[in-house]
Amino acid sequence: MAAFGYWRGVALVAAIFLAILLFVPAWFDLFEVLQMTQYVVLAIYALSLAYIWGFGGIISFGQAGFFGLGGYAFAVISINMGDTTVPFLLTIALCFAFAAVLGYFMFYGRLSDVYLGVVTLVVALIMWKLISHTAGPEYAIGKARLGGFNGIPSIPIMRVPFTDREMDPGEMFQYFMGLLIFVYLLLHVLIRSKFGRIAISIRENEVRTGLLGYDIRRYKLMVFSIGGALGGASGAMWATYQTFIDPNAFSLEMSAKCLIWVMAGGVGTLIGPIVGVVALQYLSLKLGETAFINNLVILGTVLVLLVLLMPRGIVPTLHDWLRKGVALVRQPSRGGAP
Amino acid sequence: MSAASGSILATSSLTMRFGGVVAVDNVDFSLAPGELRCLIGPNGAGKSTFFKCLTGQLRPSSGSILFDGEEIGGRHTHEIVARGIGIKTQVPNLFEGLSAYENVSLAASRRNRADRAAEIAAEMLELMQIPEIAGEAVGTLAHGQRQLVELAMVLAGRPRLVLLDEPAAGMAGEERARLAGVVRSLAGDNTLIVVEHDMDFIKDIASTVTVFHRGRIFIEGHVEEIMAHSEVQEIYLGKETNAAA
Repeated sequence: MAAFGYWRGVALVAAIFLAILLFVPAWFDLFEVLQMTQYVVLAIYALSLAYIWGFGGIISFGQAGFFGLGGYAFAVISINMGDTTVPFLLTIALCFAFAAVLGYFMFYGRLSDVYLGVVTLVVALIMWKLISHTAGPEYAIGKARLGGFNGIPSIPIMRVPFTDREMDPGEMFQYFMGLLIFVYLLLHVLIRSKFGRIAISIRENEVRTGLLGYDIRRYKLMVFSIGGALGGASGAMWATYQTFIDPNAFSLEMSAKCLIWVMAGGVGTLIGPIVGVVALQYLSLKLGETAFINNLVILGTVLVLLVLLMPRGIVPTLHDWLRKGVALVRQPSRGGAP
Repeated sequence: MSAASGSILATSSLTMRFGGVVAVDNVDFSLAPGELRCLIGPNGAGKSTFFKCLTGQLRPSSGSILFDGEEIGGRHTHEIVARGIGIKTQVPNLFEGLSAYENVSLAASRRNRADRAAEIAAEMLELMQIPEIAGEAVGTLAHGQRQLVELAMVLAGRPRLVLLDEPAAGMAGEERARLAGVVRSLAGDNTLIVVEHDMDFIKDIASTVTVFHRGRIFIEGHVEEIMAHSEVQEIYLGKETNAAA
């Protein structure tokens, strides 16, 4: 991998994703396609945190706030409008704006990293608490009843853009996979841009970046807002995939899972968190099928082992091993050349 | 008001308090364009805090800071830097994972397109006489080289007022002499304030020295006059000599 240029590596990953997009619906059964659709949605959710944490140095303990907001916003707008494409775009814009407002108070209020994490967590928990107390018929926005703990059922299935035709599971997988490829490439372009390099320099050395004359608040705000928009988009995709959303979308568990996927896959990479989602969700699924031991115990043990054996995450560690392996293979051939 | 007319920098009754501790106490300081001024004083005299007030890293408790006739006291760091003040901090403050060249070009790219930023980065490393380390990660460089890389970063932003906080710390011999030459060459076109403890280095670069003591300006004058001043020797130089003995 070390021999690959940056963009060649990105193109390779995108090509693999494209092959998955093209062949999965034909080669796998319905259950597996649905399962993989779930991984794709959660991968975009994980990327929302991977971007702000790995490439902006902003750690959010409450990323589920955006995931849940996206889910509920999409549910309410799509139920009222009867369409899905415009509600999806409106949801992304709303979550971007919400993140921008929240971020404005945090970054322009000169909140330090630890407090920033706490504020995001508290905001997500407040949203969870608020939405859980909307059980009565009076809590309705237009035609959409919020439903308290019972959530919102009958959310429209994603339609083929600008038509009235609902996507079948295979089409929805392909649509979401296409969005994942788009987000993956978009984030790489952002990271390699001047904006992205300055955001990374803020993560590396905030004081020096400020002393070079860059307005760190503005850059952090933009990174955080992009992360919020992506988190909201994944929440909307989750809502239409399940045709249902409930307050658990805002839960501590959803925020914690996101942190774990990113940490396990590797902070500072984009492919790592995607690998983290697939590996850990697949493991959870398989462990859920066994009855002889509590799957959470095994999952917890796996996570502890991951942190101990691969503290930088799966992808960076595998990358290092591969590089060392290639170096070892090449060394004797160089020395032994006649 | 001591803000002399025609000065590029003038502070008036500048005060910075941390709870009950007054780190900078009613400082009236002014600097003419193109001047090279050294600040000396024992540890805790308020020199670095004074710099932090000038660069917006600290919001002064009271008083004013005029830079080129404009009030900058309490403004954000990036606004102050954009107006033309650059600082080399006491401990080299670099992007450890990047090369020397990348560090300097990042500094230059704030006001320039990528190709121009690359030219400026190369120029600055040449000016510091360290073009040979351009490709090396700064995390692997010696302390003196790191000081020079940071100075190159500061100058790449083309500041009108350059603040150098102990630039010669950790340097010796040829390296220190080279830095003195660079600082001297900057004076005239640039205005500089240099905080330094190394009196030989100060004699090499400056004619005017301001002595800080307990957050206040104790005395200002020619370097020889300051070094001969008995009270200065007592509060600063004497202590240094004793400590070195």
